[in-house]
Amino acid sequence: MALLETIHLKKTYTIGKNIQTDALRGVSLQIAEGEFLAIAGPSGSGKSSLLNLIGALDTPTAGTVLLDNQNISEINSQELAAFRLHHIGFIFQAYNLINTLTAVENVEYIMLLQGVNRRTRESKSEAILERVGLADYINRFPQEMSGGQQQRIAVARAMAAEPRVILADEPTANLDSKTAQDLLDLMAELNREKGVTFVFSTHDQLIMERAHRLITLKDGVITS
Amino acid sequence: MLTFIKIALRNIFRNTKRSLITISAIGFGLGALIFIWSFVEGAHKQMIQNYTSYLTSHVLIHQKGYHEKSTLETYLQSPGPLLSTLKQDPRIAATSPRVRADGLLSSSESSAGVLIYGVDPDQEKNVSRLSQRVKPGAFLKPDSDKDIVIGASLAKNLNVGLGDKVVIMSQALDGSIAAGAFHILGLLDTGVEEIDKGVVLLPLKATQSLFVMDDGISEIAVRLKTASQAKPIAHDLARNLPSAKLEILPWQDVSPMMEQWIEFDNAFIWIIVIVVMIVVAIGILNTVLMGVLERTREFGILLALGTNHKQIIAMVAWESLFLGLVGSLAGLIIGSSSSLYFSTAGIDLSLFTSAMNSFYMDAFIYPVLHPGYVAVSVILVLGTSMIVSIYPAWHAAHLKPVDAIRSI
Repeated sequence: MALLETIHLKKTYTIGKNIQTDALRGVSLQIAEGEFLAIAGPSGSGKSSLLNLIGALDTPTAGTVLLDNQNISEINSQELAAFRLHHIGFIFQAYNLINTLTAVENVEYIMLLQGVNRRTRESKSEAILERVGLADYINRFPQEMSGGQQQRIAVARAMAAEPRVILADEPTANLDSKTAQDLLDLMAELNREKGVTFVFSTHDQLIMERAHRLITLKDGVITS
Repeated sequence: MLTFIKIALRNIFRNTKRSLITISAIGFGLGALIFIWSFVEGAHKQMIQNYTSYLTSHVLIHQKGYHEKSTLETYLQSPGPLLSTLKQDPRIAATSPRVRADGLLSSSESSAGVLIYGVDPDQEKNVSRLSQRVKPGAFLKPDSDKDIVIGASLAKNLNVGLGDKVVIMSQALDGSIAAGAFHILGLLDTGVEEIDKGVVLLPLKATQSLFVMDDGISEIAVRLKTASQAKPIAHDLARNLPSAKLEILPWQDVSPMMEQWIEFDNAFIWIIVIVVMIVVAIGILNTVLMGVLERTREFGILLALGTNHKQIIAMVAWESLFLGLVGSLAGLIIGSSSSLYFSTAGIDLSLFTSAMNSFYMDAFIYPVLHPGYVAVSVILVLGTSMIVSIYPAWHAAHLKPVDAIRSI
């Protein structure tokens, strides 16, 4: 049975008053638990829109998103927030860490929202940061770290929530190839060790090669 | 909760310059508010003090009906026992019996209608400051029966000076003509035109004799130990004094205009308070809203991670509260220290002396720091800083994460 499923998913954006753009035109997709899946396609193909809908960051114009057979397309914004908190981990292209929090505080933040007690939060955050190779950087602020290090914190933050699925939107786009390779190794290991499902949207050939399955989007529809 | 407070605090320090501008706006706003309130409180205290220090004391006791029709016939006969009772009251600092009558004062050149006050020189010194406002010349002495103190402006109008002879003409209690010649011992210079232009002071005994009143008096001026208690004490005296024929009025009832003026002034202060509050509100709103708009992307991330509306609102509210608290502390220091400094140094308004004297104010105003007004000011400023954060907080909480993250 699929962990994630989209059925005839459509997303139309209205620009200005009358101009409408179809980002997704009926995407049906099934993602199994533990997959390491890449969604590729040129700019404007609808990759990010699809990821936003799967991640409950946005609501579809039509169609359904199911996670464990639960329809998340029809719940309100507060319930979506709770849903994201407990089920989805995010890794963004621009890292998107909270600049006023240190590395360890960024990782702890999600657990704080989940109501995890302080002692568990601290020990778990430090363990995860050690796992991603940042044990010596736990008290640094994001702006004091390199792009690769920041993206590792983002991975650690996503892992801390113990989500069913981690959505990574062009995670290597801002990294050099060596750093990108290391990060990808890390995510592949986490996928293997913890069984966390990874869904990438990417242009990066490296991710496409490492993915267990590759889906290509073009003009809002799956082409392969 | 601690993490949200931590984020709020770090956001304040993230843009130190902007936070300092907001804290300054709150600080100077609150400081100005406390100072203005202290200034007005000081001015009012001085007005009441001066007003009750001349002819209207804290409480005036008359025969019933005197306030409505102030004639010589409505007088207190044999006031000795009443004065003794009043002297035993621990709330009363001093009393002074007076005779009050209308009359005509003439010099060799001119004459003018005057208000004649017959006062006991020794007792009057304890009740009013009239004796301190005699310049040039001297105040009345108990044993003198031919001396008079007249208003300085009156003396100018009649073209008389110290030592000159003036004649008083009036009607005595028995209907006969009351006439007497007196020598000017001193000129009364209070700065209050209605006194300086139309009041003369005579020794009590001479006045009683002039008006054929035996030991009768028109009023007893009562000075209290606590001026602010005039109303309740006057009402209490009216209830408890044995004679039912007395009319006991606090200064507010003797001349309601002064009280009304103070009330008007207090109402006007609220307009200033509202203006200051608007300035403070705009200052805080500007900073907090700018801070929120600048961090749209960050709020988008927080929302994407699963932060709910209440938590975002709390974060923004903590930020405003901290700015408000630090600003209030600054305002408290600015307002209180300036008020306290000027409460001893005084504020020199001698440029406006004549206008000030008409309102029973001196050339120097001494602000009075009132804890109640300080507390109200702080509460108002803190409340304002919280209220104006509602919109930015609501805006941040209701951002659409996907759009907010895309914003730069």
